Amino acid sequence: MGVSRTKTVKNKHASNKSGISGSKASKSGPVDGIVKSRKKGPPPSSKPGKGKGLAALMNKKKKKTYTAEELGIPKLNMITPVGVEKPKGKKKGKVFVDDRESMNTILALVQADKEGEIESKMIKARQMEEIREARRVETEKKEQERKARLDETKESLRKKRKRTKADGAPDADEAAVRDAMTAGSKAAKPKKKRVAFA
Amino acid sequence: MRPLTEEETKTLFAKLANYTGSSLNNLIAPLEDGDRYVFRLQRDRVYYVLLSIANLATSIGRDKLLSVGTCLGKFSKTGKFRLHITSLPVLAAHARYKIWIRPNGTMPFLYGGNIVKAHVGRWSDDCPEHQGVVVYDMNDTPLGFGVTARSTGEARKLDPTGVVCFRQADCGEFLRDEDTLFAS
Repeated sequence: MGVSRTKTVKNKHASNKSGISGSKASKSGPVDGIVKSRKKGPPPSSKPGKGKGLAALMNKKKKKTYTAEELGIPKLNMITPVGVEKPKGKKKGKVFVDDRESMNTILALVQADKEGEIESKMIKARQMEEIREARRVETEKKEQERKARLDETKESLRKKRKRTKADGAPDADEAAVRDAMTAGSKAAKPKKKRVAFA
Repeated sequence: MRPLTEEETKTLFAKLANYTGSSLNNLIAPLEDGDRYVFRLQRDRVYYVLLSIANLATSIGRDKLLSVGTCLGKFSKTGKFRLHITSLPVLAAHARYKIWIRPNGTMPFLYGGNIVKAHVGRWSDDCPEHQGVVVYDMNDTPLGFGVTARSTGEARKLDPTGVVCFRQADCGEFLRDEDTLFAS
């Protein structure tokens, strides 16, 4: 880049026509009136300098500026209430349903929903009923089994006793038990001590 | 007064479908003379009204219009819909599940009590739990509506004092809630 030098003009009011002979302006021009043509070369420094400046400018323009939305930065203190937001291109206010077709559609949807709900409720109730019934049957069966076992043991005991009676000689144990039963609780009591004085 | 939005219509139909069967379609079917019934929202209340009458009612200011047609119920502030006893004629005509209560049970019900098993004369078969039912007396007069506490199968095993239906609305409300039924 060419360095442009600035000329210091001591007296800027002094011009060719100023009449001051010593001034630079009066010296600059040829006195004889013949002007030599100056070499017309390309101005070396100014053009490329200008181009670079433009490029820089372009670069500066091309630099993309991102908005907050593009960057996906969470918004801070930017909460807008639902009612305040107004979507563009949409009808303002509420959308009413007054024609039969749309009402029928809504009704069909709602009814299908309800039907499904009721159906599922019924199925659930039926399943629960089945489970309860199965549980009841199971407990009944268990109860019966227990009863049967009890009856069996009772029967076996009875048979045993009969057999021993048939033998004629009851064993000592059974005799002792019978004695105890007949005597009752009174017999088990020890005799009271008595004291006699002469 | 305005028509309902899509969401409101859905909420309303969902509530009505709790009590009614598939015949709910007849509610919005066109009449022979070309007129039809529509739903209209006035303040928070929903009215079931003939279209011709609804059109006539536009000549009355919102703040001056007290009621038009049959009031079905009201939207709560949270957007739920609550059926009023005034919707009983509409529900009774399209009821899916029904309970008939004996004469000894009508007064307890009309005074706001739930229905106990001892008061039930008969009821629809295969009714699931927590299902909307319309309550009738033995002469088939609709008295109100409620929600079943037990399914039909379970209720059979219940003792006589057990609750089988929770009351939602009864005709006694016409007197009890006279002040608030039409004006909020």
